[in-house]
Amino acid sequence: MADPRPRLVKFETQRSFALRLVLATLTGKTIRVSNIRPSSTNPGLANYEISFIRLLEAVTNGSAMEISYTGTTIAYKPGLITGCAPGRGASGGVIRHELPEGCPRGLSYFLIPLCLLAPFSKAPINVLFTGPGVITSATPMGDISVDSVRTAILPLYEQFGIFNNIELRILRRSCPGPGGKGGAGEVQLMFGHQVRVPKTIHMMNPGRVKRIRGVAYCVGVSASNNARMIDVARGILNPLVSDTYVFSDVSSAPLIPSATKADPNAKRKLGIGFGLSLVAESSTGAFYSADVASPPEGGVPPEDIGRQCAYQLLETISLGGCVSPAAAQTMLVLMAMGSEDVGRLRVGKKVFATEEIIDLGRDLSQLGASGWGVRDADAEGEDLIVSIVGSGFGNVGRKIA
Amino acid sequence: MSSSSRSAVAPKTLGKRKRQTNESKAKVNGIKKSAGPKIQTTREPSAEEEESDAYEVFRRHFESQFKPIEEDLRPKQPKVEEKQADNDDEEDEEDEDSDWSGISDDEGKRKVEVVEHTGKPSNSNEYDDLAAKEEMKAFMSSKPPTAARKPIPKPQKSKENSEDENDEAANLKNDLALQRLLRESHLLDSNSSLDPTGKNRHKALDLRIQALGSNSSIMTQEKMPLSHRKGIMAKASEREEKRRREARENGIILEKPKLTKRKDAESRRERGVGGPGVGKFRGGMLKLSKRDIADIEGPKRMAKGKKGRR
Repeated sequence: MADPRPRLVKFETQRSFALRLVLATLTGKTIRVSNIRPSSTNPGLANYEISFIRLLEAVTNGSAMEISYTGTTIAYKPGLITGCAPGRGASGGVIRHELPEGCPRGLSYFLIPLCLLAPFSKAPINVLFTGPGVITSATPMGDISVDSVRTAILPLYEQFGIFNNIELRILRRSCPGPGGKGGAGEVQLMFGHQVRVPKTIHMMNPGRVKRIRGVAYCVGVSASNNARMIDVARGILNPLVSDTYVFSDVSSAPLIPSATKADPNAKRKLGIGFGLSLVAESSTGAFYSADVASPPEGGVPPEDIGRQCAYQLLETISLGGCVSPAAAQTMLVLMAMGSEDVGRLRVGKKVFATEEIIDLGRDLSQLGASGWGVRDADAEGEDLIVSIVGSGFGNVGRKIA
Repeated sequence: MSSSSRSAVAPKTLGKRKRQTNESKAKVNGIKKSAGPKIQTTREPSAEEEESDAYEVFRRHFESQFKPIEEDLRPKQPKVEEKQADNDDEEDEEDEDSDWSGISDDEGKRKVEVVEHTGKPSNSNEYDDLAAKEEMKAFMSSKPPTAARKPIPKPQKSKENSEDENDEAANLKNDLALQRLLRESHLLDSNSSLDPTGKNRHKALDLRIQALGSNSSIMTQEKMPLSHRKGIMAKASEREEKRRREARENGIILEKPKLTKRKDAESRRERGVGGPGVGKFRGGMLKLSKRDIADIEGPKRMAKGKKGRR
């Protein structure tokens, strides 16, 4: 960039890379991220980050990015979030996004930021994720499963007045492939509810957990794994909440072509495994989720997965507040992008005092959003009340229309 | 009870045990009070028990002087149990050092029965009933579960209050009747009833069909002699022309007249397959009229300037 404009906001390192790009797009500020893995043996942007940039380019119009030769620096000038209007790379209103082979991140790495953009888009967002890099299950890198996105993250949008025509179709499941890389799932996200600004929320009361739901999935392995996971998880959760159902989803392993000279039509199975996603809903509409999947190298009995997941869910609930760690970023960003009004959210101290949330707060203030007010929720001091004034930017596409 | 819980309430048990000895030997109270600081920490519960003891003493004294208190029934029962419990406790003490359940004597009587409805967790096939299936459909669909969950209570509601539904149906019916009356009232005579009859019934029916999207009215006559039709059309255009003229004279602005396209411009005569596209083929000869030739030649230069204008 020859003339550094005054509005250029500078970030460093690859931390919360996707979220920063999303925030830049929502606020319309040009950003520059430098020092992306400078001392790594594989320096610069990772393949999944590049893939996310491509996705961002597909759903926006007029965005420009410049990546340095080594890939350690990127400048991003956001455009308008146009969504998937037919005729612009979207055939029949569906953008087809292929994830490259060797992508170690679960699909939620792409889905959650994309869902943050979607309410502010001009046209509905309709993206089909395919390719040999789509992992629908939870991953060892800490991404939650697609089921948790659908059952624990997407319902939260309802509190912001965004609830119509939202669908997340899991067309084909896949666990991480060998080495935790790649999968061959297929997922379609339809986000058809666009708003001017999200509603201001006040969530002060976490309520009590009233129901627990879950999905046990197994891909290319015996369905008895599901039954075993469910059995153990229910054994732990049932005495606490009797309204506990865990549904089972069995699917065959996805096949990807692997042509050899001997057999040009050869296919191989990729991404077999199993996992469990649990969601607890409280009486006031707070969601807590837990996700555990079998590691790619295998060797863990399903009982352990079920037990671990149940305990993880209990731990998430014990952290308190109205949001689980997996959903905190989504909630806070939507609140920050709301109308110019104070929204309040009760957050557990241990949920709030994480690197990601503190980073998010700093990034937002760097991008010109107002600061957060934080105070103790009550005398016991288990929870915090975070008050956020919305930016009032809202949806630029809607403003004109 | 596990040993951990016992250790958690260790100071209490210490004091409580003292009380048991109290009850067996009433004197010890004094000793206890004079005991070291360690026991003083446990003074409170023992003081309470002292009170109850004193109450007991007073009661016995009163009873010996007068007669047994009427409302004895209430205090008596716990006493019996207390004794039993004491015995138990003593046995317990013989068995193991410090298992005491002093206050729980009372509590034991009021003990709330705990029923756990957990059952044996089993496979999810257990939920084969309809509600569970619906729930599963709602949860496992591609929509976020809260959005999908809403429609479930609807059918239950309708079942519950069928009376409400009946009302609803009646209201709808009345509404429809009113709408029809308003729309077709111009067909009704002043002296007839609300339902149109005869010719008017057909007219009303025609109106409804047209409202539903019919292109043509059933009242238009399809076939008639050409002279009749010409006459009708001439009359209609004359009437229209008169209306416009009068409006113009009175300074009233009317809607713009509908453009009627020339018939031969919009549709040509359907010609047979394989025949010539132009002219007449007769006697092995294609005859072109002047007009055909003009069509083929296209507009003349002179006319071009005018053609742009309408």
